Amino acid sequence: MSAAAVLAEALATARSVLVAVLPLVAFFLAMQALFLRLPAKEVWRMLAGAALAALGLFLFLLGVEVAFLPFGRLAGQALGALPGAWPLIAAGVALGFVTARAEPAVAILAGEVENASGGSIRAPLVLAAVCAGVALLVGVGMARIVFAIPLLYVLVPGYVAVLVLLWLSKGEFAAIAVDAGGVATGPLANTFLLALALGASSAAGGRDPLTHGLGLVALIALAPMLSLMALGALLRRKELRKEA
Amino acid sequence: MPALLRKRLGEVLRSLAPLLALVALLQLLVVRAPAAEFAQFLAGAVLVALGMVLLLAGIDLGILPMGRYIGAELPRRGSALLIVLSAFALGFATTAAEPDVLVLAAQAQAAARGALSAQALTWLIAAGVGACAALALLRIVLGFPLRLLLAAAYALVLALSLAAPAGFVPLAYDAGSVTTGVLSAPVLLALALGLSAVLAGRSPASDGFGVLGFASAGPIVAVLLLGLLAG
Repeated sequence: MSAAAVLAEALATARSVLVAVLPLVAFFLAMQALFLRLPAKEVWRMLAGAALAALGLFLFLLGVEVAFLPFGRLAGQALGALPGAWPLIAAGVALGFVTARAEPAVAILAGEVENASGGSIRAPLVLAAVCAGVALLVGVGMARIVFAIPLLYVLVPGYVAVLVLLWLSKGEFAAIAVDAGGVATGPLANTFLLALALGASSAAGGRDPLTHGLGLVALIALAPMLSLMALGALLRRKELRKEA
Repeated sequence: MPALLRKRLGEVLRSLAPLLALVALLQLLVVRAPAAEFAQFLAGAVLVALGMVLLLAGIDLGILPMGRYIGAELPRRGSALLIVLSAFALGFATTAAEPDVLVLAAQAQAAARGALSAQALTWLIAAGVGACAALALLRIVLGFPLRLLLAAAYALVLALSLAAPAGFVPLAYDAGSVTTGVLSAPVLLALALGLSAVLAGRSPASDGFGVLGFASAGPIVAVLLLGLLAG
């Protein structure tokens, strides 16, 4: 990557970070002026925190673009060129697990769940369920690329299962599960796993990478919903059995 | 402050280590990228780790408290309308500003063969997020069961996925993931948690979650509907 390319990337990233942070800060300042009237010291502390978050997000996104996007594509091509479908599917499962583990918003959600539940739902349990779900469905996503399975054949049964599990699962797990579906599709998954899928589908050859590589994001969003709701359903069965 | 950052550094290294180890293993066994490219990966990985430390510390220090203050203050004003309007404004503004949404809107415009301008589509997606975020917070205020709301949303998503032209389906589900920027996700979360903490008879554990997930159904429905109309 040339210096000019890195600089252009840095400018685009800085712009996207600013437009992500500014509406939040503006909304907070409007609330502060109208209703909140918090002490100035508290406001400055939060503004400093927001600035720190913006700087961190900038470095994080730039690093993801520089490191994970190109390497994801190379890895996808190399794995897709191997004989047989299994190396690619196995690598998808393993990479899905560790990528979800590294996604910052997943860690934030798990922490908030532990806080809000007063420690009765532990953060590592939520993390493990999210990672297991993403691992499984990235594996399915890779199989979909190799065997050219239409996206709807996976999504429709998946969402039907969500509709069923919604009623079988403990209420708070159902709510946490849909939120986890949102955060699992963070910047790391969206670039690294997507680049992996696009690389693999170009190596598989003869398939339009746009229709076959895309859709992986939809599977990653579905994954933690299924795994956390299934966990919630298991826990509810256990409770019912204890009561009986 | 340094103590806080040091604690975060430990967390970040623990969460990144498995990913980096696996990438190194793949590089040795399968990928065998040229040394320059792997060096670029390593340099980027250092940026990622450093960025995550600052990001997580900043979210704890600034972003989450902002959301919590707003979420706790809104119900004290005694107006459901104010809550709904704030949730809509926040959902709309954070989504409309997200650069990913504009990229997506351009793709959808191409799929719809120019039936709608990319700018109009950006607003449509943002309005979908805003409306769903408002509805999800109103649910907390009114005490309406989340399950019914989610079941209705996903049933609608399923029905529309089967009816809409196939080209729009992956696009629609991709649009669903744009609601959850690393910054907007904690704010919506803190807003809902703050709201359910101060309302009588609600608890953050059972009522505070679900807003993010529900909000991501909004743009899926919006893009699928566009597909139906264009197709």
